[in-house]
Amino acid sequence: MPNYLYLLASLMLFFIGTAGALLRRNALFVLMSVELQLGAGNLALLAFARGLGDQKGHVVAFFVMALAAAEAAVGLAIVVSVYRTRKRIDLDAVSELRN
Amino acid sequence: MSHLVGGPSLLDQVAFAVLAAAVLGFGLLTITRKSPVAALMSLIGASCALAGLFATLSAHFLAVLQILVYAGAIMVLFVFAVMILNRDDEQPIALRGLFLRAAGVLAAGYLFYRLAWLVVNERRADVLATAAALPIPEYGNAASIGRLLFADFLFPFEAVSLLLLVAVVAGVLLVRPSRSAPPAGNGETS
Repeated sequence: MPNYLYLLASLMLFFIGTAGALLRRNALFVLMSVELQLGAGNLALLAFARGLGDQKGHVVAFFVMALAAAEAAVGLAIVVSVYRTRKRIDLDAVSELRN
Repeated sequence: MSHLVGGPSLLDQVAFAVLAAAVLGFGLLTITRKSPVAALMSLIGASCALAGLFATLSAHFLAVLQILVYAGAIMVLFVFAVMILNRDDEQPIALRGLFLRAAGVLAAGYLFYRLAWLVVNERRADVLATAAALPIPEYGNAASIGRLLFADFLFPFEAVSLLLLVAVVAGVLLVRPSRSAPPAGNGETS
Protein backbone atom coordinates (compact mmCIF):
# COMPACT_ATOMS: atom_id res chain seq x y z
CA MET A 1 0.00 0.00 0.00
CA PRO A 2 1.18 3.56 -0.55
CA ASN A 3 2.80 4.90 2.56
CA TYR A 4 0.79 8.09 2.79
CA LEU A 5 -2.34 6.07 3.51
CA TYR A 6 -0.62 4.69 6.60
CA LEU A 7 0.24 8.23 7.63
CA LEU A 8 -3.37 9.31 7.14
CA ALA A 9 -4.56 6.42 9.30
CA SER A 10 -1.99 7.37 11.92
CA LEU A 11 -3.14 10.99 11.81
CA MET A 12 -6.78 10.03 12.30
CA LEU A 13 -5.95 7.70 15.18
CA PHE A 14 -3.86 10.42 16.81
CA PHE A 15 -6.75 12.88 16.54
CA ILE A 16 -9.13 10.34 18.04
CA GLY A 17 -6.73 9.87 20.94
CA THR A 18 -6.29 13.60 21.38
CA ALA A 19 -10.04 14.16 21.40
CA GLY A 20 -10.42 11.48 24.05
CA ALA A 21 -7.62 12.88 26.19
CA LEU A 22 -9.01 16.41 26.02
CA LEU A 23 -12.72 15.69 26.28
CA ARG A 24 -13.11 12.87 28.77
CA ARG A 25 -12.99 13.73 32.44
CA ASN A 26 -12.51 10.24 33.82
CA ALA A 27 -8.78 9.72 34.35
CA LEU A 28 -8.94 6.10 33.13
CA PHE A 29 -10.28 7.21 29.75
CA VAL A 30 -7.59 9.87 29.51
CA LEU A 31 -4.90 7.22 30.05
CA MET A 32 -6.49 4.97 27.42
CA SER A 33 -6.56 7.87 24.97
CA VAL A 34 -2.87 8.48 25.60
CA GLU A 35 -2.27 4.83 24.72
CA LEU A 36 -4.10 5.42 21.43
CA GLN A 37 -1.90 8.43 20.72
CA LEU A 38 1.27 6.46 21.37
CA GLY A 39 0.03 3.69 19.06
CA ALA A 40 -0.62 6.25 16.33
CA GLY A 41 2.90 7.59 16.76
CA ASN A 42 4.28 4.07 16.46
CA LEU A 43 2.34 3.54 13.25
CA ALA A 44 3.85 6.70 11.73
CA LEU A 45 7.34 5.64 12.85
CA LEU A 46 6.98 2.22 11.23
CA ALA A 47 5.52 3.71 8.03
CA PHE A 48 8.49 6.06 7.70
CA ALA A 49 10.89 3.22 8.51
CA ARG A 50 9.32 1.21 5.70
CA GLY A 51 9.51 4.13 3.31
CA LEU A 52 13.16 4.79 4.10
CA GLY A 53 14.07 1.11 4.19
CA ASP A 54 15.72 1.65 7.57
CA GLN A 55 15.13 -0.48 10.63
CA LYS A 56 16.10 2.16 13.18
CA GLY A 57 12.49 3.31 13.28
CA HIS A 58 11.57 -0.13 14.61
CA VAL A 59 13.99 0.32 17.49
CA VAL A 60 12.48 3.70 18.34
CA ALA A 61 8.99 2.18 18.20
CA PHE A 62 10.23 -0.50 20.60
CA PHE A 63 11.33 2.21 23.03
CA VAL A 64 7.99 3.96 22.67
CA MET A 65 6.27 0.71 23.64
CA ALA A 66 8.43 0.42 26.76
CA LEU A 67 7.58 4.02 27.54
CA ALA A 68 3.88 3.27 27.13
CA ALA A 69 4.15 0.41 29.62
CA ALA A 70 5.95 2.60 32.16
CA GLU A 71 3.46 5.41 31.62
CA ALA A 72 0.51 3.09 32.16
CA ALA A 73 2.03 1.70 35.37
CA VAL A 74 2.83 5.08 36.91
CA GLY A 75 -0.32 6.77 35.60
CA LEU A 76 -2.63 4.10 36.96
CA ALA A 77 -0.78 4.12 40.28
CA ILE A 78 -1.30 7.89 40.51
CA VAL A 79 -4.99 7.52 39.65
CA VAL A 80 -5.47 4.85 42.32
CA SER A 81 -3.59 6.97 44.85
CA VAL A 82 -5.70 10.04 44.04
CA TYR A 83 -8.86 7.95 44.31
CA ARG A 84 -7.80 6.76 47.77
CA THR A 85 -7.36 10.26 49.12
CA ARG A 86 -10.25 12.06 47.39
CA LYS A 87 -12.72 9.35 46.32
CA ARG A 88 -12.91 10.93 42.87
CA ILE A 89 -11.26 10.28 39.56
CA ASP A 90 -12.67 13.24 37.65
CA LEU A 91 -9.67 15.19 36.50
CA ASP A 92 -11.53 18.48 36.88
CA ALA A 93 -12.00 17.69 40.56
CA VAL A 94 -8.32 17.23 41.32
CA SER A 95 -7.03 20.65 40.38
CA GLU A 96 -4.98 21.26 43.53
CA LEU A 97 -1.79 19.57 44.56
CA ARG A 98 -2.45 19.94 48.28
CA ASN A 99 -4.50 17.27 49.92
CA MET B 1 4.07 -8.97 1.85
CA SER B 2 5.68 -8.46 -1.51
CA HIS B 3 5.43 -5.00 -2.94
CA LEU B 4 6.06 -5.21 -6.64
CA VAL B 5 6.35 -2.36 -9.10
CA GLY B 6 2.82 -2.93 -10.38
CA GLY B 7 1.33 -1.63 -7.13
CA PRO B 8 -0.24 -3.35 -4.17
CA SER B 9 -2.17 -6.51 -4.77
CA LEU B 10 -5.87 -6.81 -4.08
CA LEU B 11 -5.16 -8.78 -0.93
CA ASP B 12 -2.93 -6.00 0.37
CA GLN B 13 -5.60 -3.40 -0.32
CA VAL B 14 -8.35 -5.38 1.38
CA ALA B 15 -6.13 -6.11 4.39
CA PHE B 16 -5.18 -2.47 4.77
CA ALA B 17 -8.76 -1.25 4.42
CA VAL B 18 -10.15 -3.73 6.93
CA LEU B 19 -7.37 -3.18 9.47
CA ALA B 20 -7.41 0.61 9.21
CA ALA B 21 -11.20 0.69 9.55
CA ALA B 22 -10.94 -1.60 12.57
CA VAL B 23 -8.29 0.57 14.23
CA LEU B 24 -10.27 3.77 13.73
CA GLY B 25 -13.61 2.20 14.67
CA PHE B 26 -12.28 0.62 17.84
CA GLY B 27 -10.48 3.87 18.66
CA LEU B 28 -13.72 5.82 18.37
CA LEU B 29 -15.47 3.22 20.52
CA THR B 30 -12.70 3.55 23.11
CA ILE B 31 -13.23 7.25 23.67
CA THR B 32 -17.03 7.22 23.45
CA ARG B 33 -18.07 4.29 25.65
CA LYS B 34 -19.50 5.12 29.04
CA SER B 35 -18.42 1.97 30.80
CA PRO B 36 -14.66 1.64 31.40
CA VAL B 37 -14.73 -2.10 30.70
CA ALA B 38 -16.33 -1.62 27.27
CA ALA B 39 -13.76 1.06 26.45
CA LEU B 40 -10.99 -1.29 27.58
CA MET B 41 -12.22 -4.08 25.31
CA SER B 42 -12.36 -1.61 22.42
CA LEU B 43 -8.79 -0.58 23.20
CA ILE B 44 -7.74 -4.24 23.00
CA GLY B 45 -9.44 -4.49 19.60
CA ALA B 46 -7.68 -1.33 18.41
CA SER B 47 -4.32 -2.67 19.63
CA CYS B 48 -4.77 -5.99 17.82
CA ALA B 49 -5.80 -4.26 14.58
CA LEU B 50 -2.81 -1.93 14.96
CA ALA B 51 -0.58 -5.00 15.28
CA GLY B 52 -2.07 -6.20 11.99
CA LEU B 53 -1.18 -2.89 10.37
CA PHE B 54 2.36 -3.24 11.69
CA ALA B 55 2.54 -6.68 10.08
CA THR B 56 1.47 -5.28 6.71
CA LEU B 57 4.40 -2.86 7.05
CA SER B 58 6.71 -5.90 7.41
CA ALA B 59 7.36 -5.03 11.05
CA HIS B 60 6.71 -8.54 12.29
CA PHE B 61 8.67 -8.27 15.52
CA LEU B 62 6.89 -5.07 16.51
CA ALA B 63 3.53 -6.61 15.60
CA VAL B 64 4.06 -9.51 17.99
CA LEU B 65 5.39 -7.14 20.63
CA GLN B 66 2.35 -4.88 20.26
CA ILE B 67 0.01 -7.75 21.08
CA LEU B 68 2.18 -9.00 23.93
CA VAL B 69 2.69 -5.61 25.56
CA TYR B 70 -0.70 -3.99 24.95
CA ALA B 71 -3.19 -6.83 24.96
CA GLY B 72 -1.12 -8.62 27.58
CA ALA B 73 0.60 -6.38 30.07
CA ILE B 74 -1.02 -2.95 29.82
CA MET B 75 -4.56 -4.32 29.59
CA VAL B 76 -4.11 -6.35 32.76
CA LEU B 77 -2.99 -3.20 34.56
CA PHE B 78 -6.05 -1.35 33.29
CA VAL B 79 -8.38 -4.17 34.29
CA PHE B 80 -7.03 -4.11 37.84
CA ALA B 81 -7.37 -0.33 37.96
CA VAL B 82 -10.99 -0.55 36.74
CA MET B 83 -11.65 -3.14 39.42
CA ILE B 84 -10.30 -0.85 42.14
CA LEU B 85 -11.91 2.34 40.81
CA ASN B 86 -15.36 0.98 40.20
CA ARG B 87 -17.16 4.28 39.65
CA ASP B 88 -19.16 5.90 36.89
CA ASP B 89 -18.56 9.51 36.12
CA GLU B 90 -21.57 11.75 36.26
CA GLN B 91 -20.66 14.02 33.38
CA PRO B 92 -18.33 12.33 30.93
CA ILE B 93 -17.58 15.19 28.56
CA ALA B 94 -15.48 18.07 29.80
CA LEU B 95 -16.36 20.88 27.42
CA ARG B 96 -19.42 22.89 28.40
CA GLY B 97 -21.09 25.63 26.48
CA LEU B 98 -21.77 26.05 22.80
CA PHE B 99 -18.92 28.51 22.22
CA LEU B 100 -16.23 26.26 23.68
CA ARG B 101 -17.45 23.26 21.72
CA ALA B 102 -17.63 25.16 18.44
CA ALA B 103 -14.18 26.68 18.96
CA GLY B 104 -12.68 23.30 19.83
CA VAL B 105 -14.23 21.55 16.84
CA LEU B 106 -13.15 24.36 14.50
CA ALA B 107 -9.57 24.46 15.75
CA ALA B 108 -9.16 20.67 15.71
CA GLY B 109 -10.79 20.42 12.29
CA TYR B 110 -8.52 23.07 10.84
CA LEU B 111 -5.39 21.44 12.27
CA PHE B 112 -6.48 18.05 10.93
CA TYR B 113 -7.24 19.55 7.52
CA ARG B 114 -3.81 21.17 7.27
CA LEU B 115 -1.94 18.03 8.35
CA ALA B 116 -3.94 15.73 6.09
CA TRP B 117 -3.51 18.17 3.21
CA LEU B 118 0.24 18.15 3.80
CA VAL B 119 0.38 14.35 3.74
CA VAL B 120 -1.80 13.99 0.65
CA ASN B 121 -0.04 16.80 -1.15
CA GLU B 122 3.36 15.20 -0.64
CA ARG B 123 2.23 11.72 -1.56
CA ARG B 124 4.55 11.61 -4.58
CA ALA B 125 7.65 11.98 -2.40
CA ASP B 126 9.86 8.92 -2.18
CA VAL B 127 9.24 8.29 1.48
CA LEU B 128 5.47 8.45 1.12
CA ALA B 129 5.00 6.74 -2.22
CA THR B 130 4.31 3.06 -2.68
CA ALA B 131 6.98 1.24 -0.74
CA ALA B 132 9.68 -0.37 -2.79
CA ALA B 133 10.82 -3.94 -2.37
CA LEU B 134 12.23 -4.87 1.01
CA PRO B 135 15.80 -3.59 1.42
CA ILE B 136 16.91 -6.82 3.05
CA PRO B 137 15.04 -10.12 3.20
CA GLU B 138 15.02 -10.23 6.99
CA TYR B 139 13.63 -6.67 7.33
CA GLY B 140 11.76 -6.28 10.59
CA ASN B 141 12.14 -9.73 12.07
CA ALA B 142 13.31 -10.41 15.59
CA ALA B 143 16.88 -11.36 14.69
CA SER B 144 17.73 -8.21 12.78
CA ILE B 145 15.96 -5.87 15.21
CA GLY B 146 17.72 -7.60 18.10
CA ARG B 147 21.08 -7.22 16.40
CA LEU B 148 20.43 -3.50 16.01
CA LEU B 149 19.18 -3.23 19.57
CA PHE B 150 22.20 -4.90 21.17
CA ALA B 151 24.82 -3.25 18.97
CA ASP B 152 23.93 0.32 18.05
CA PHE B 153 21.30 0.98 20.69
CA LEU B 154 22.74 -0.84 23.68
CA PHE B 155 22.91 2.19 25.96
CA PRO B 156 19.34 3.38 25.29
CA PHE B 157 18.18 -0.20 25.74
CA GLU B 158 19.75 -0.40 29.20
CA ALA B 159 18.37 3.04 30.03
CA VAL B 160 14.88 1.84 29.10
CA SER B 161 15.28 -1.18 31.37
CA LEU B 162 16.19 1.19 34.20
CA LEU B 163 13.12 3.30 33.35
CA LEU B 164 10.88 0.25 33.61
CA LEU B 165 12.43 -0.67 36.96
CA VAL B 166 11.83 2.84 38.27
CA ALA B 167 8.23 2.69 37.00
CA VAL B 168 7.61 -0.60 38.82
CA VAL B 169 9.07 0.72 42.08
CA ALA B 170 7.09 3.95 41.75
CA GLY B 171 3.89 2.03 41.08
CA VAL B 172 4.36 -0.12 44.16
CA LEU B 173 5.25 2.90 46.29
CA LEU B 174 2.27 4.96 45.13
CA VAL B 175 -0.41 2.38 45.76
CA ARG B 176 1.07 0.97 48.96
CA PRO B 177 -1.64 0.94 51.60
CA SER B 178 -1.40 2.54 55.05
CA ARG B 179 0.69 5.51 54.09
CA SER B 180 -0.15 7.35 57.27
CA ALA B 181 0.55 4.36 59.49
CA PRO B 182 4.39 4.40 59.79
CA PRO B 183 5.76 6.11 62.89
CA ALA B 184 8.28 8.91 62.44
CA GLY B 185 11.87 7.92 61.75
CA ASN B 186 11.05 4.45 60.53
CA GLY B 187 10.34 3.93 56.87
CA GLU B 188 9.88 0.19 57.19
CA THR B 189 6.23 -0.76 56.90
CA SER B 190 4.62 -3.76 55.49
